[in-house]
Amino acid sequence: MIVDGHVHIGKSTRLQIAVDGAALVRVADAMGFDKICCTDLTALFYDMHEGNRLLYEEMQKFPDRILGYASLHSTRFGQEAIDEIKRCRHDYGMHGLKIYSTPEVSIAESAMIPILEICAELKMPILAHTTPQECEYLMSAVPEVSFIMAHAGAQPYAHGDWNRAIMVAQRFSNLYLDTASSAIDTGFVEACVAALGATKILFGTDTPLLDPWPQVVKIRETRLSDEDRKLIMGGNILRLMGVAE
Amino acid sequence: MIYDANAFIGKWPYWPIRSSAPSQVVGELEGWSIDRAVICSTRSVFVNWEDGNVETEAAVRQYPTHFTPFACLGTLELSHVLPRHTYDFADYMSRGFRGVRLYPQHHSYHLLYEAFVDSILEDAASRGWPVLLPLRIIMNWGLPLLDLSVMEALVIRHPRVNWILSGINYLYELQLAISLMRRFPTVHLETSCVMGYTAIAKIVQQCGAQRLLFGSGAPVQHGAAALSKVLHAPLPDSDLEAILGTNLQRLLGEL
Repeated sequence: MIVDGHVHIGKSTRLQIAVDGAALVRVADAMGFDKICCTDLTALFYDMHEGNRLLYEEMQKFPDRILGYASLHSTRFGQEAIDEIKRCRHDYGMHGLKIYSTPEVSIAESAMIPILEICAELKMPILAHTTPQECEYLMSAVPEVSFIMAHAGAQPYAHGDWNRAIMVAQRFSNLYLDTASSAIDTGFVEACVAALGATKILFGTDTPLLDPWPQVVKIRETRLSDEDRKLIMGGNILRLMGVAE
Repeated sequence: MIYDANAFIGKWPYWPIRSSAPSQVVGELEGWSIDRAVICSTRSVFVNWEDGNVETEAAVRQYPTHFTPFACLGTLELSHVLPRHTYDFADYMSRGFRGVRLYPQHHSYHLLYEAFVDSILEDAASRGWPVLLPLRIIMNWGLPLLDLSVMEALVIRHPRVNWILSGINYLYELQLAISLMRRFPTVHLETSCVMGYTAIAKIVQQCGAQRLLFGSGAPVQHGAAALSKVLHAPLPDSDLEAILGTNLQRLLGEL
């Protein structure tokens, strides 16, 4: 089973995206993906309640195809954010959390700790657009949470530094790396697997911001055992989300 | 024929790569079904551009059917010598070079304030040599970037140059490239860092397919991944053929 672990749904003028579940499922069909893990852009950047509800509505239309990440637009909503995560888990059937860190408002702060703790309790992996340095802080605080470093450091705020991402992931057993990225460096996936093992690498495309083809090919063209490839291409994210294949 | 507008030979200083020698790069390109590539040596970027050009020249002598050499040019003013005042383009031509690459973000000069840049570009324009101008060397968010407005100003200042914009990814970077392509028929774009969703088709829709050139960034970047976004772009075969090779052949005067 192939699962795209990093997909965006909804609207963001900043990212020049406006896409619904039907369009994303068509892309998934074309790419041969069985499931896609989506995060709503309104929830991620503006209003968590509105955006997560919109995602839930799309999930209902494609219950076998869309897995939901609840999203928060900030760490700083205290109990309101905790309640939203619980609602997304229990009422909406979402399996993970997505959150975005920026240099202006980093998630590596004490306000994030209760969010990590509730996700650990609810067994919701967190996909975070964050830096290796931020991951060190967060994983040191709540090492039991399953934490996925979106883009494996290969994003602007992390200075594209996937080598550092690997080094940090070596230190924390529950820190995982997401392969979605503009970077298509030769040897990137090999280096991840050699240092961390295939169980800690998760395939994602960042559709519809990025073209999914290079994201697939950079893994398909890596010398991996069939077992490792299956883990990366879907087994790992399903295991973390507690979803049966 | 798949003809790559942006590849390298040479070592990569930031992290280990599996191929750097010309023979290894040839092997990688063949493995990715890339028939031929425009190259320069990374020594030109990171150590000394003249020494790198010597390496490039030697690689092309060794693999003439696989490589096309571009000369990497930089400042003539170094700490230990008085500045010279000319670039010997006739010599570069006699050595087989077919175009120019500039890496100001790695060579500590400003594109708009150094007279030698204008000298290079005027000579390149008069000879019809393409000039590759990279926003970034490969698609990595941590490596030095050019200022987009400086790229635009340089193109406006030298509209006769056959430009190959390089290192362009998505959003406003791509919008600038498309804007320049629409304004100037001499502006081309190579695809090594273009990663946006359906970006290849969008560029063709707005600018046509004739000035889009496949580029890989190999061997630092993965050639098959770079190729995939072009091969799977929803375009007619004639456009794909143009992007994958004939546009570059035409630009280099090989057709």
